[in-house]
Amino acid sequence: MDVKRDRIQTEGQEGVESELLTLNMGPQHPATHGVLRVEIKTDSEVVVQAIPHIGYLHRCFEKHAENLDYRGIIPFVDRMDYLAAMNMELGYVTACEKMMGQEVPIRAEYIRVIVCELGRIASHLLAFGTYAIDLGAFTPFLYAFDMREKILRFFEEISGARLLYNYIWIGGVWNDLTDAQLGLIETFCDEMWEEIDKYNNLVSYNKIFINRTANVGVLSEEAAYQYGATGPILRGSGVEWDLRKKRPYSIYDRFDFSIPVGSGEQGSKGDCWDRHIVRMREMYESIKIVRQCLKGIEAGPVMSKVSKIIRLPQGEIYHKTESPRGEIGYHIVSTGDKKPHRIKVKSPCFTHVSLLPHLAPGLLVADFVAVIGSIDIVLGEVDR
Amino acid sequence: MISERMEAKGLSDFEESISFRQYFINIWQAVFSVAKGMWITFRYVWAHKPVTIEYPEVREVLPERSRGRLYNDVADCIACNQCAMVCPVDCIYIASTPKPEGEEIPKTSNGTPIRLNLNQFTIDEALCCYCGLCTTVCPTECLTHTKDFEFTQYDLDQMKYDYLDPEIVAWRDRIVEK
Repeated sequence: MDVKRDRIQTEGQEGVESELLTLNMGPQHPATHGVLRVEIKTDSEVVVQAIPHIGYLHRCFEKHAENLDYRGIIPFVDRMDYLAAMNMELGYVTACEKMMGQEVPIRAEYIRVIVCELGRIASHLLAFGTYAIDLGAFTPFLYAFDMREKILRFFEEISGARLLYNYIWIGGVWNDLTDAQLGLIETFCDEMWEEIDKYNNLVSYNKIFINRTANVGVLSEEAAYQYGATGPILRGSGVEWDLRKKRPYSIYDRFDFSIPVGSGEQGSKGDCWDRHIVRMREMYESIKIVRQCLKGIEAGPVMSKVSKIIRLPQGEIYHKTESPRGEIGYHIVSTGDKKPHRIKVKSPCFTHVSLLPHLAPGLLVADFVAVIGSIDIVLGEVDR
Repeated sequence: MISERMEAKGLSDFEESISFRQYFINIWQAVFSVAKGMWITFRYVWAHKPVTIEYPEVREVLPERSRGRLYNDVADCIACNQCAMVCPVDCIYIASTPKPEGEEIPKTSNGTPIRLNLNQFTIDEALCCYCGLCTTVCPTECLTHTKDFEFTQYDLDQMKYDYLDPEIVAWRDRIVEK
C-alpha cells in the first residue's frame, strides 16, 4: 500500500482505486487530553498512519528561564506538568541542590517525599478518570475527582495554591506541616486504599473495559527501549525500571516499596490494560511510601540557610527524577551567574507522543483513542 | 470488507472464533463484573453525601495560606523594591523619591524607618502569576496575598491596581479581613 499517494489497491479489485481518509483529531478533541492534534489517515475504520502535531502550547520555557534567577524559575517549572507540579519542582530543585552541594534538612526531605507521592496519586487519579471517560464510562471520573479534590485541598492548605504550588524551594520547602495536617494525610491514606480497590472493581476488572483495552496498542519491550519510553509506559511493557528504586534521589532509598510491572495478565504484555493497571498499582505503592514517611518524619527546620541571591557554580549538570509520567530530566548549564546560561528539559511525554505513529497502524479509530488515553499525555510538558 | 483488510494486514484476531464454553464464560464474566460495578455505584445513592458546592450561594472557607489577590498596605511600605526585583513576571511597578532633608522620618508598624516617599505602587494583577515570591521577601510584611479571588473586570487596564489610590486604601477592611 502506498501511503504517500493516499491510494489503495485492494486485491481482487484491480482497476478500482480508493483513497485514504485524512482525519484531524484535535486540537480541540475531547479525547486528546489537551491541545494535541493527531493527523490520522484511515482506511475505512482502520488507522493506517498517525502523525502527531505538537506546539500548540509552546511557551518558550527554556528561553524564558535564561532571563530569570534560579528561584524565579520554580513557578515556571510548575507550569510544565500542571497535573503533578510537585514532582516537576522536585526534579529542578534537586538538580540545583546537587550542583550547589546544598544540604537539605531531613524534615524537609520527608515533606518533599510526602507531597510528591500525593501528587503522583493525584496525577494517576486524573489519568484513570479521563481514561474511563475516553472509553465511555463517566462515573469513575467523578469518583476520581472526589479523591483528587482532597489532595488538592491539602496542597492548598500547605502551599496556598491548588495546582501551581511553588512549594519546594532550593534548600527545603516553603512551609512546615502541622501535626493536624499529618493526621489528615494518615486518614486520607486509609481512605484512598479502599478507594483504589473500588476503582479496580468498578473499572479495571470490568469485562467491558478489559475487552476495550487488552491486546490493544501492544508495545513490546524492545520498542519501548528504542523509543525511550519511561515511567508507567516502560513498566507496562514488563521492564522493572523505576528511578526511585534504581537511582535513588532525595531519601527514596529509605523506603520499602515494589515496582509494579505489566505481565500480560488479561491480554498480551505491554497492552493498554497493562499500562492502566501499572498506574493503579503504583498508587498503592505511593500510599505505602507516604505511610512510611509519616512514621519516620522527624521534628526540625524545613528550610536551610540559603543566600538571598542563589548562584550555581560554573559547570553543568544533568539530573533526572521519576515524575508520574516518566523520567523528567533537567540539564542546567551555569556560568556562575545568578541566572542560568541554559536549561534543557527532557520531558517524558514528548518521547511518549512519538510512540503514537508506532502504535497506531492497524488499530480501529476507537482503539486509537484508548491508546492515547493509556499513554497519559500532558501537553504542557510536551511543548514546554 | 473491513475484516478482509484487517486479515491482509495480519490482524486475524479481529473476529476471533471462540469455543462454545468460552462464549458462556465471557457472558458470565461480563454479567458478574458489570453487576459488581453497578453495586458500587448503587451504594452512592445513600452511603455518600453530596460533595458539590452550590457555588455563588454557598462558599467554601479558603485555607489561611490561600494565594488570592495581592494587597499592599502602603502605610507600611518602605519602597525597598525587593518585591519588584524577585517577581518572575515583572508585574510590580514602584516609583519612589528620597524624602527631603530635615523632614521627619516616620516608622512602620514593626519599627522600620521609611526613608523614601512612595509615589507609585501598582500591581498588574492580570499579569501576576500568584507564585507568592513577593510576599516572602517583603521586610515589613505589608504586601500580602488576600483570600479574595473574585475580581473580574471588563477591561485589562482595570486589573492594574494602584495601591495609593484612596479608593483601594478604603477597601482594606473588605479585602484584608476577608
